[in-house]
Amino acid sequence: MAAAMCVDDEAASAAAESAGVDKLDLGAAAGGKRSVYLMDCAPVWGCASTRGRSAEMEDACAAAPRFADVPVRLLASRRDLDGLGLDAGALRLPAHLFGVFDGHGGAEVANYCRERLQVLLRQELRLLGEDLGQISCDVDMKEHWDELFTGCFQRLDDEVSGQASRLVGAVQESRPVAAENVGSTAVVAVVCSSHVVVANCGDSRAVLCRGKEPVELSIDHKPDRKDERARIEALGGKVIQWNGYRVSGILAMSRSIGDRYLKPFVIPKPEVTVVPRAKDDDCLILASDGLWDVVSNEEACKAARRQIQLWHKNNGVTSSLCDEGDESNDPAAQAAADYLMRLALKKGTEDNITVIVVDLKPRKKAKSNS
Amino acid sequence: MDQQGAGGDAEVPAGLGLTAAEYEQLRSTVDAHHRYAVGEGQCSSLLAQRIHAPPEAVWAVVRRFDCPQVYKHFIRSCALRPDPEAGDALCPGRLREVSVISGLPASTSTERLDLLDDAARVFGFSITGGEHRLRNYRSVTTVSELADPAICTVVLESYVVDVPDGNTEDDTRLFADTVIRLNLQKLKSVAEANAAEAAATTNSVLLPRPAE
Repeated sequence: MAAAMCVDDEAASAAAESAGVDKLDLGAAAGGKRSVYLMDCAPVWGCASTRGRSAEMEDACAAAPRFADVPVRLLASRRDLDGLGLDAGALRLPAHLFGVFDGHGGAEVANYCRERLQVLLRQELRLLGEDLGQISCDVDMKEHWDELFTGCFQRLDDEVSGQASRLVGAVQESRPVAAENVGSTAVVAVVCSSHVVVANCGDSRAVLCRGKEPVELSIDHKPDRKDERARIEALGGKVIQWNGYRVSGILAMSRSIGDRYLKPFVIPKPEVTVVPRAKDDDCLILASDGLWDVVSNEEACKAARRQIQLWHKNNGVTSSLCDEGDESNDPAAQAAADYLMRLALKKGTEDNITVIVVDLKPRKKAKSNS
Repeated sequence: MDQQGAGGDAEVPAGLGLTAAEYEQLRSTVDAHHRYAVGEGQCSSLLAQRIHAPPEAVWAVVRRFDCPQVYKHFIRSCALRPDPEAGDALCPGRLREVSVISGLPASTSTERLDLLDDAARVFGFSITGGEHRLRNYRSVTTVSELADPAICTVVLESYVVDVPDGNTEDDTRLFADTVIRLNLQKLKSVAEANAAEAAATTNSVLLPRPAE
């Protein structure tokens, strides 16, 4: 089975290269080629985190390989799937979840998000799978993801503030997770064989390295972002320049989980980006502003890509997608994450730093990298 | 804050959240402790918080110059600067070093105890240094008991401060008032919880009496 899978992968790769297409092959065809929707997608990631020069560590990060199966209807329309000969109602793709949570005023909310968001998301994906089969019309997939993430983030925020109860041990708890002035960013990515889906709330960031160039998958929620400032002021709030632009002169981001003393101005609603994967995807970087304040998207992409290549060059035979590898950190991606963390420290960032690098480049057994 | 006309009816300052009857009872306190000579480039503000707890329970929290984090948010730690002559006593001139939690436009604040009057329940401090944008900040907090229309405690907190370059009076008041309002809400929670706990203790002590 393993050998056959390898052969299939090589055939698909060769066909794609000879055809000169940029996108991964979406179709299933005679001769053993498999649709991208049927390919396995091993989790290949590294995570590095440090409090840096700060007195406290308030960042948290989550990596949950194969945390849930995503209904394929969230990734493609029924019409497209029917055209590929795939059963739109039943097919689900294994997906991985990666998240960075940058706390402020304390670590309680960031730590809570790290544990809880994946549980809520898994529940919602399971429920959604049951509903999708009965939806005959083709609602835009992104709308489903918007609804899914908005619901999860709102629930998370409600639990943090004590407005919704949560399970602690075996007991229903309805007291707040933290004081009114504690909050966190949340940038999360759901990665499967066909797509990367990012949801962002706050000023952490997700950047895709594609064809050696950065692609922004999130836009920071800064209070001086024109649309954010307009939203806040329409609600009677105010953005003041007080050591940078801040909501009420206090909070340097316009959206977060928690921070209930600044509601309704600071909201937990995420912005969602859905991106089909492509052959020239190199890697995905999620990080807190401890990195992005001192390292540009371009520099981060170049450094991460180079560190991954360097590791593989120095370590000969690479692990194959076909391997039954354990689901711990990948050493090449880990080297890239470590490098970015040290780079931010060297450049003098004052904040906590948390970086996740997800390698998106399929690597073949016994094939050297140029 | 405008001067009140002599003998005229008190007009309740906008946004204070007190009724005219409540404000009338507090007028002498306001006149004595919450009026400032506000200079050019400065601004001032007065905030109020009703608390359903005995004034002495509220005062016990407010007067802790050495431990403001009991009722103030945004404080990571606070240390009294050692004073060989004063020892542990809280008296005017004492300094405290406050470090501030993350995410705020400030990191440290050096603060001086200006006034601690246990009889009148008046507490005053000023900010003398640190990394923040509040220059020449001076504040007074009073704890008063009201009897009309119902018994309750009212905390008034006022301040005067320079308006930083590049900001307006409104900016400065918004920043400071947001912080103070949040602190007063926490003071209310803490004092009411303490009072409830004290009442429960008193009740349990009284319980054995019927058995005698």
